[in-house]
Amino acid sequence: MAFYEQHIHDAPTTFLSKYIFSYDHKVIGKQFLWYGILFLGIGGMMALMIRWTLAFPGQPFPVIGNFLFPSTGGVVPPDTYAMLFTMHGTIMIFYAITPILIGAFGNYLIPLMIGARDMAFPLLNMLSFHIAVASGVLLLAGLFTPLGAAAGGWTSYPTLSTLIGSPGVGQTLWTLAIFVLGISSTMGAINYITTIITLRAPGMGYFDMPLSVWGLGLTAILNAIFLPVLGAGCLLLVFDRVFGTAFFLAGAAATSGTGDPILFQHVFWIFGHPEVYILILPAWGIVSDLLSFFARKPAFGAKATALSMTTITILSTIVYGHHMYTTQMSPLLTQSFMTLTMTISIPSAIFFANWLGTIWKGSIRFHSPMLFSLGVVFVFGLGGLTGLYLATVTTDLYLHDTYFVVGHFHYTMAASVLLGGFAATYFWMPKMFGTMMNEFWAKVHFWITMLGLNGIFMGMMVVGYAGMHRRLYNPFVYEFMERMIPINTFITWSAIIMGLSQIIFVINFVHAVFFKKEKASANPWEVGTLEWTIPSPSPHYNFKEIPVVKCGPHEYGNPNLTGERDFQYQTEELV
Amino acid sequence: MSNTTLTKERVGRQITSSIAMTVILVTFSMLFASLLLGFTVFRLTSDVWPPMGFERVDLFLPTISTIVIAISSFTFWKYEKLFLVENAEKKLWLSFTMVLGFSFMVAQAMLWSDLHSKGIYVQDGIFPSIIFSFTWTHAAHVVVAWFLLFYLVPTLKEGVSVEKLENRVFNIGKFWHFLGVVWLIMYITIFLF
Repeated sequence: MAFYEQHIHDAPTTFLSKYIFSYDHKVIGKQFLWYGILFLGIGGMMALMIRWTLAFPGQPFPVIGNFLFPSTGGVVPPDTYAMLFTMHGTIMIFYAITPILIGAFGNYLIPLMIGARDMAFPLLNMLSFHIAVASGVLLLAGLFTPLGAAAGGWTSYPTLSTLIGSPGVGQTLWTLAIFVLGISSTMGAINYITTIITLRAPGMGYFDMPLSVWGLGLTAILNAIFLPVLGAGCLLLVFDRVFGTAFFLAGAAATSGTGDPILFQHVFWIFGHPEVYILILPAWGIVSDLLSFFARKPAFGAKATALSMTTITILSTIVYGHHMYTTQMSPLLTQSFMTLTMTISIPSAIFFANWLGTIWKGSIRFHSPMLFSLGVVFVFGLGGLTGLYLATVTTDLYLHDTYFVVGHFHYTMAASVLLGGFAATYFWMPKMFGTMMNEFWAKVHFWITMLGLNGIFMGMMVVGYAGMHRRLYNPFVYEFMERMIPINTFITWSAIIMGLSQIIFVINFVHAVFFKKEKASANPWEVGTLEWTIPSPSPHYNFKEIPVVKCGPHEYGNPNLTGERDFQYQTEELV
Repeated sequence: MSNTTLTKERVGRQITSSIAMTVILVTFSMLFASLLLGFTVFRLTSDVWPPMGFERVDLFLPTISTIVIAISSFTFWKYEKLFLVENAEKKLWLSFTMVLGFSFMVAQAMLWSDLHSKGIYVQDGIFPSIIFSFTWTHAAHVVVAWFLLFYLVPTLKEGVSVEKLENRVFNIGKFWHFLGVVWLIMYITIFLF
């Protein structure tokens, strides 16, 4: 039972109160979606420039190269290359994936799926978005400073990120932007946690919540606990850069007394390892739900899936050292971290098996959200398994900082989360905007994206295994890597094709949002969770009457069901 | 006394607000805990402390700050009690808290200028880096909390609705006490030891 009653407010009337300064969680969710898609475009463009440089070293970037890099005749210069991969990582992680999965779907889904009229603190929610915008402006402002944006990698390790390594204002702006974004995400997390605890509809226990809400809730907990750790690191880095403190300066870089550059790595990864779960947990939750929705079967072991996600959340906080095996860590520590990291395989294997159990012998409907969800199962399987080589000290010492790492984390954080985000967008489109996206073009989009990203990231693993180091401007000056140009060209062509296929998505999306006349029905996918009991698009007050929950979210194919439907709504008594 | 009856609605709002405040305090704790983690690393890996011929900070001003912030926590607690029973003396105790909060900031500023007068600046190495950065970070939070105290001025009127304003009082109070505890930990770790 909800802890208190949320009243129905009047619908906003002016443009500003409706679209810009809206308190409505659904509008804020859509704002985050547009924000994320915009940054996805910018980050994707940067990825293509990086790939172009690796496949065709010394050749000008087509079409816009001459405009962006006039001094070199269109060729990406080395310092700009460092800036590009730094900004690509930062933008994709903090400004594209986080807003889409957590900002957009977190905001949109949590109140609707638990039967609430809005978040617990709508004002905080609105501020969270506007602070995120301010942070995005700070980050992009770095691109227009004299020495360019941050170029020390998305991890911003000192001494690369100190005044000696990056003298420009760009790095300071980067650090401030991340700090400000941390505030925004923390505000969101406070809202999500409180809303999930206090505003569930009557009758809805924690295990009656859809797994999407589980994933988003666990993400919020990790966000609330670990973002401030990064915040502290950023704060000290800003102090080092602006006030001349010596926290992360050592050796010749420290003119007075000595700090510890490795300390930043610790602080960064204490946050950074939970961060990868922050990114993937919402996608796991969403996929766990969608597999059941489209296999027309109850989610296999839903309770175990929820609990193993919780276990992973807890374990993720104590494994961060596996990012730092090469920092002269004591063997006792490396082996402890290795063992703990390996332990994560157990809960991962449980919910992965549950996914397979869910689709086993299901009456699968291969609609676009299902295709994307199955895509997540495939790419996450690959990404998870390749993680084992990096968790093992002996193999990691060889693979550390190679393209194998890049391939691995793109499989888990980029490919899985991107496909999960697309699945969610296609699936909740009718509820969000009241129209369906074109199914044929969605499937075309899926297949090109799926083939493209496997071409890219599988290729990266191969070149990484062969010893190609990440972050090198032109690796082919080294003799042993000379023969890797053809496979890098293949990766780049895959990236270009995948990049271009996103235009299909954008056109499909924009068409469905603004131009499509045909309205979607209230429940086009025949799904029983609470958001499908209300009209599409959902009214501003969500639920006229707060629903009473009587069964779980995955009631499909119950043999006792009579009549047309093979599913039941959560508001109906279990037959 | 409809003000003091505990309806289900009111308890629900109290719990909601305290859950959110707990999450907020957890995030702030993690921020300061990370700073103290940094301090611990430097402290444990250094042969002598303070390093490089620095002397310990004179404890006089930090001790004054500690006493002042402790009393301000007490006065806030007193104000909160009186607010709940709608006693007019609440004005007095909130004003005490504001004055003490301001005095804490003055003591901090004096500490910084005292260090400067001894020629110790923030860029002089890791020891002053820690002393200055940590006190700055804490002081920034105290300044915000001090301005938040003015957000409580509407609670001082006679006959205001306790039910409407109580969560505001509780939450700002928790934040104020929290900053006191953080200062106490900082006093013990970076000044005493």
